[in-house]
Amino acid sequence: MSLIDVENLTLQFKTDEGLITAVDNVSFSLAPGEVMGLVGESGSGKSVTAKSLMKLNPGNAVYAPESRITLHLDSGPVDVMSLKRPRDMEVVRGGAVSMIFQEPMASFAPAMTIGSQMVEQLLIHTDMSKAQARELSVEMLDRVGIADASTRFGQYAFEMSGGMRQRAMIAMALSTKPKLLIADEPTTALDVTIQAQVIDLMKDLVDEFGMGIIFITHDLGVVAQTADKVAVMYLGKMIEQGPVREVIRTPSHPYTQGLIDALPQLDDLDKPLMPVPGDIPSPLERPEGCVFHTRCTKIIGDVCRTTVPSWADTGESHRAACHLCHQGHRA
Amino acid sequence: MLQFARFTVTRAVMAVVTLVLVSLIVFTLMELVPGDCAERYLAYKNTQGSAITLADIEAERARLGLDRPFLTRWASWLSGAFRGDFGDSCILRVNIAQLLGDKFWISLWICLGSLTLAYMIAIPVGIISAASKNAVLNNSLRLISYLGLAMPNFLLALMVMLFSTIYFGETLTGLFSPEYREAPWSWAKFVDLLKHAWLPIFILGWSATAFALQTVRALMSDEIGKLYVTAAAARGIYGRRLLWRYPARHALGPIVNSLGFDLNRIFNELPIVALILTLTEAGSLLLEALARSNDQQLAGAIIFLLTAAIVTLNFATDILLAVIDPRVRKSILR
Repeated sequence: MSLIDVENLTLQFKTDEGLITAVDNVSFSLAPGEVMGLVGESGSGKSVTAKSLMKLNPGNAVYAPESRITLHLDSGPVDVMSLKRPRDMEVVRGGAVSMIFQEPMASFAPAMTIGSQMVEQLLIHTDMSKAQARELSVEMLDRVGIADASTRFGQYAFEMSGGMRQRAMIAMALSTKPKLLIADEPTTALDVTIQAQVIDLMKDLVDEFGMGIIFITHDLGVVAQTADKVAVMYLGKMIEQGPVREVIRTPSHPYTQGLIDALPQLDDLDKPLMPVPGDIPSPLERPEGCVFHTRCTKIIGDVCRTTVPSWADTGESHRAACHLCHQGHRA
Repeated sequence: MLQFARFTVTRAVMAVVTLVLVSLIVFTLMELVPGDCAERYLAYKNTQGSAITLADIEAERARLGLDRPFLTRWASWLSGAFRGDFGDSCILRVNIAQLLGDKFWISLWICLGSLTLAYMIAIPVGIISAASKNAVLNNSLRLISYLGLAMPNFLLALMVMLFSTIYFGETLTGLFSPEYREAPWSWAKFVDLLKHAWLPIFILGWSATAFALQTVRALMSDEIGKLYVTAAAARGIYGRRLLWRYPARHALGPIVNSLGFDLNRIFNELPIVALILTLTEAGSLLLEALARSNDQQLAGAIIFLLTAAIVTLNFATDILLAVIDPRVRKSILR
């Protein structure tokens, strides 16, 4: 039984320049306790996809009618797309699903104490009294490794270090015991050493709380350390998904291969860096056919320019949307 | 608490130091005007037909203490200013404190009234319009505030007078009814003042509101787009609670910061409105002193009082800011 099923998620933004497709027909599902890495360059639609799970995108977002997001909670399935009023979305937002963001400094309200924001959330989502909410918040801060938690509880985000803020954010996100945690580049703004601490902490907490995590990042190294499976996005489309080791060892899509080649190698410093050639096209000018064909080095003919590739299985629960794979090749 | 008291005292001392520095600038500017009080008074006498000699001027200088060194004169002017004694007017030969009388305070209260009116409207309306996606509401608010910015105050004042004369047969000018004009202060006189003062307050408040509305709206739009608001929404906070507790509360700091600046702007607009509504207030007196009679003593006194008012307001907003914004507060307490 999965925790969340996303089917045919398509989302466009209404702008002055016209409709911009941010997410195009994305489907995936996640089981409880599973960690999925969502990988892609800036502008690939990974954050927008994640925010859709709580319908957190701005007011100019238009979801296509065939989009389905189903959360399987203990109380029964919740059809996220059918939630219209903010009041109804309470179940999802901060309740069943919590989100942590890239910049822990900016995601706390600057003029409110960490504690008051934690307590506020608990009072909304649980039947706790203020005193109980306070007690649990301090406990959570302590749990994520913040020393002197009861003092920190009364402090503001600007009084903490970057790593500590992100820990506090994690503590706040987990305090309502969500079923799903969305982590939007939670370690990108942190020092490498702090990054490792935060990743370790998150891994421990998944085991303890048994929730599913969607881990958004552009860093395949982080994904390899944390995720069970990985989904790669490019220009709003999901182009490859599969078990994390398999995808990294034997990538099927030329884009995934490109991302892996682009990683700097510490053990071979003479190896030249291999960036993915070209720039991500403007979302206003989405390429016809395969969205990646304008940058692909393994283009196999007109089919890439004209036909949108369907999924091709390239292993057990490993698939890629590439014409190459349909012909039995790999990237 | 102790640290907060220390902060308040430090800021108060800084305010006084600012005032002293400003007084030096004002006094220097007063001195830069060609000629001095003695010459000017006697030149004025001359136009009235009395013959004067150089010796008369020297004697007058000695009498006024103008023969003392610059710093001594500044020091004595400053110590008088802090006691509310600005000496005599150059031309009118009347004690300035007496000449100004209540005029300065009335001017100040009219300006503060306009400022209060402006922000009482601008804060809620600006916040709601920044948060609202209603295009009709937003465009009509924008139109109104552009009208407020574009329409000169004197035109509005003239229009109000025109309509009130046509429809009510009353010009709505002045600040007091004739029977109270020379009367000592009483409750009835105060009520009479309020009955008249609403018009200049409204007229001055009109453009100030438009200006403040733009400021509040811009600050608020800026806050609404910030990540902590999205993060709060992701925690299930919504609606009015989200709006007031998060972006609105955080936009308040910069709004408070803009108050001192606005008071100055309103005071600058006061004279022309006062001229049309025939108000007897300090702004028009200042214009008169600066432009017509060249009365440097009087002009200096009014400028000093205005600066003192602005410095005081800035002091108050600094304290208020420390109360509402923990970032400021904590930086003091450290």
